Amino acid sequence: MEPLSWADILGRIFVQFTPVWIALVVVFAASIWFKRNLGLYGKLFDSTIGMIGFALVMFWVFTGIFGAMDMVVTHDALNQISVMKNKAPGTPVMGAGEDVYPYYLLGGDNLARDVFSRMVKGAWVVVQIAPLATLFAFMVGITLGLPAGFYGGRLDTLLSFLANLILAFPVILLFYLLVTPEIIATGIPNYMATCLFVFPLIFVAILLNSRYHTQPALRTPLLIGVLGVLGWLYLSLISEVGSKVQVIPGFLDLFDVPGGILVVFVSVVFVNSPTVFRIVRGLTMDIKTRDYVAAAQTRGEGPWYIMLWEILPNARGPLIVDFCLRIGYTTILLGTLGFFGLGLPPESPDWGTTINDGRRLLSIYLHPAIVPALSLLSLVLGLNLLADGLREESLKD
Amino acid sequence: MKQVGCTPYARETQEMKDIYDGPILEIDVLSISFFTRLREIPAVMDFSVKVMPGEAVGLVGESGCGKSTVALGVMQDLGKNGRITGGTIKFKGRDLGQMSVEELRKIRGSEIAMIYQEPMASLNPAMKIGKQLMEVPMIHQGASEKEAYDRALQVVTDVKLPDPKRILDAYPHQLSGGQQQRIVIAMALMSEPALLILDEPTTALDVTVEASIVDLVKDLGRKYGTSMLFISHNLGLVLETCDRLCVMYSGEAVERGSIADVFDEMQHPYTQALFRSIPLPGADKNSRPLVAIPGNFPLPHERPPGCNFGPRCDYFEAGRCDQGTIRMRPVKGNDRHETRCLRFEEIDWNAPLAAAITKDKGMIGDVVLKMEDLKKYYEVSANALFGKSGETKVVKANETLSFEARESETLAIVGESGCGKSTFAKVLMGLETATAGQILLDNRNIESTPIERRDTKTIADVQMVFQNPFDTLNPSMTVGRQIIRALEIFGIGKTEADRRERMLQLLDLVKLPRAFADRMPRQLSGGQKQRVGIARAFAGDARIVVADEPVSALDVSVQAAVTDLLMEIQREKKTTLLFISHDLSIVRYLSDRVMVMYLGHVVELGTTDQVFSPPYHPYTEALLSAVPIADTRVKKKHIVLEGDIPSAMNPPPGCPFQTRCRWKSQVPGKLCETEVPPVRRMADGHQIKCHLSDAKFAEMEPVIEIAAE
Repeated sequence: MEPLSWADILGRIFVQFTPVWIALVVVFAASIWFKRNLGLYGKLFDSTIGMIGFALVMFWVFTGIFGAMDMVVTHDALNQISVMKNKAPGTPVMGAGEDVYPYYLLGGDNLARDVFSRMVKGAWVVVQIAPLATLFAFMVGITLGLPAGFYGGRLDTLLSFLANLILAFPVILLFYLLVTPEIIATGIPNYMATCLFVFPLIFVAILLNSRYHTQPALRTPLLIGVLGVLGWLYLSLISEVGSKVQVIPGFLDLFDVPGGILVVFVSVVFVNSPTVFRIVRGLTMDIKTRDYVAAAQTRGEGPWYIMLWEILPNARGPLIVDFCLRIGYTTILLGTLGFFGLGLPPESPDWGTTINDGRRLLSIYLHPAIVPALSLLSLVLGLNLLADGLREESLKD
Repeated sequence: MKQVGCTPYARETQEMKDIYDGPILEIDVLSISFFTRLREIPAVMDFSVKVMPGEAVGLVGESGCGKSTVALGVMQDLGKNGRITGGTIKFKGRDLGQMSVEELRKIRGSEIAMIYQEPMASLNPAMKIGKQLMEVPMIHQGASEKEAYDRALQVVTDVKLPDPKRILDAYPHQLSGGQQQRIVIAMALMSEPALLILDEPTTALDVTVEASIVDLVKDLGRKYGTSMLFISHNLGLVLETCDRLCVMYSGEAVERGSIADVFDEMQHPYTQALFRSIPLPGADKNSRPLVAIPGNFPLPHERPPGCNFGPRCDYFEAGRCDQGTIRMRPVKGNDRHETRCLRFEEIDWNAPLAAAITKDKGMIGDVVLKMEDLKKYYEVSANALFGKSGETKVVKANETLSFEARESETLAIVGESGCGKSTFAKVLMGLETATAGQILLDNRNIESTPIERRDTKTIADVQMVFQNPFDTLNPSMTVGRQIIRALEIFGIGKTEADRRERMLQLLDLVKLPRAFADRMPRQLSGGQKQRVGIARAFAGDARIVVADEPVSALDVSVQAAVTDLLMEIQREKKTTLLFISHDLSIVRYLSDRVMVMYLGHVVELGTTDQVFSPPYHPYTEALLSAVPIADTRVKKKHIVLEGDIPSAMNPPPGCPFQTRCRWKSQVPGKLCETEVPPVRRMADGHQIKCHLSDAKFAEMEPVIEIAAE
């Protein structure tokens, strides 16, 4: 068989992505149809930049999801076909059986794995970790930033000092420290996870309690239910058989997070939350001077109600924009971590790791590194454009 | 840059300045539209006005009527989505629309100058005052630095700022609001413009400061012979400053003429309705209540066919007023008096107001709230970081405040910024605790109980209505939800359904449609938001409501409706209303008793009649004189206070008012500068804090007199 021409390669890639295209078209059609009823999300479809950004982001999200369902990929991401080592894009797979896709669309890497499939699988890793880690960072930042901005004074000074301390520490060095086997053996990353991941629980508990404390009949069952579920998830997350933190017995443990991923998660949350803290603190200081906050005070609302229900919802505009930008930074951070071989296992298809693998033979074989690099670029670009679009639209009436 | 003065163009404009004697500004059938994604929004339609040399023309109207857009149109600064869609703007006979960007830049700032509402926003905070002023002649006339400095110094002296050299060397933030506005005026006058556009120049300032600025503008206008376009929503202010005025409604000029013609012989229903909705002397909340204009201001894209004011007009005639375009028509017998009304010749303009429903005065009951020698001091440390070690300053926000308030009584608290009225409200609400003295609510002491430790009943009893309608509601919660939340907190209603029902009743109480319950605050107008704020305050059947300037941010026609609503609820619920305001017209209209505050001191306290007639405290006298009244029959004594309100951080010794008092010389010795005056009982329930002798008090003449017709 002849190698494919570039037009053929692009055509076939386009066909491989069919489920993604369908999903994108459905989402866009529905969103544009209902855009007048969708608030800020709907307004996004009035801005070209926002739409391009959203399309790029959703492209990778759907790629990740369908990839995880083995729909877009052509080969197994770990499967090696030895003749395919470092082959150029479009090379036919020699001696492949009937059920194997006949080409390596974007070539093979130095371990003879399909670059295209690894890129698709890598999207799933990024799409899973980056938003979740950012969400946790936001929970921590918000839970600490609100009281710092609201009360001010000593509490603010102390928390801001701690935030500055973390921000002043070189990030990469911090990561290296966190993944050093000696440090892992002391259990520090696990303890940090225990601390950092408790914040969403605190956040939700205060959020619901401050809202419903006037109606104990509703509040108590609600809190018990929600905290029960969240608590279980929390314990499953931090508890690991054989590690320093093993709180619940194995049979109750819902899922196991591989040690490496947990460390990545912890470090990303740890370095991102101080920045979020500062943004939230600044916004709180601004919003707390509004009359509706004074109105809440004069009717005797507690401070946490004011912070979470009067201030936080009105700070959402800048926070949503920052959230998008921050997912982008986190994606880059994940790439950096993978590039340094920190955290994620070496065979992981995530983009940072694959770029690092491809780097060694960069001068001879460009494609194994350039494909994940371009993917990373387009996702982060999409997130930035999306954030721009959101900012622009949230400023308009 | 210095060559600019020699270019032929500059010489030409210089000559034009001297020889031109036609109208300075001539706007002819101007239409301006803004283009948004969805539609074209016509902001100004068929608008014409002529400003003669040395003439001051007022542009009056409510917010959203297009008056500021006209000003921006004159400056040719409509932004990227605004466009002039018809008509011409001629400045000294030359069409501004035909000029190039270069020519316009020459004219702006040198021949047409503009003064904006917010002085702080008009000055560059990073540049010294002197430098900002000197820029004007250096750019426009190519003056040398020395010349520019001399000119700046002279103009700053002209705007009556003390110590001009020091001011030129100061940064904007080192000056007070009034001083900043004077600098902005000075800057506008630097190049002796032919036309000065003032866009609500005093709205952000206190009344006494406003009075002195208005005085200054009038004087300078006379001195430099500048024509002025004065944009304001305040009819009283226009009466004091302008020769002619133009009333605008929903993008159109509805009436145009000289001040005397329009004020005394108004020929448009909107003008008439506007005058009926402002509290002039003689209006009374019980016997002669204000008449609010029914309905709402139409949105620019929802204007009715025919007359824009039609749907809200008392004289509306279907089939006539809602057909086609209505043009301005001259009123016979008056000079350049025109109106946009088809029926103006048929309407009997002097017909007395359709007998307003006279309401019974609420019976004033027992004392519910009593303050005794309330003091509130703040300690401000000089150094924020190492606060404990540095020296601390004491700010005396409230000094020996004593009064009582009775059931269904309205007590007005009057004073300018920094007088301590907000601090007093905070202490009463329990957001702060008192330094000394006591507050008795139903004979229970609450002065040192912070709000967290007050019981629900006390909290629900004392509630507050806030000033800024755009800030009083949480923008991300529905109107109904916010009221229900207050009900939840006050423990009213057993189930969610109960509370929802009660919330709907509260909306009825403030006369809002029940459908508003599910709206977001941004879908409501300012007046409607303020009504929701009132509903929320009354959620727990409040017995004492502190209303902190509840209508000052609203348009006049809406003010009347909201004020009326407050009065009606008060009558029904026997509420004690503490009405904080700086607007003496509205205070005179609705309050039973008045308390005047200055720098934390109560300087005068008495019934409304006692406070508004002599003997006055010197500050009350100045305040009364400063408030513009939109009635040509009113003769006011002209008292202008010198200087600004002293800072509460550094109050003057002795009497707090001594730095600005015009009666100070009448007190023997240095009493005013050394001793805080005693509280003097003038008549039953009337007290004044002043050193003046009884004889001097007896000499005082009334500030406001209504000339016999």
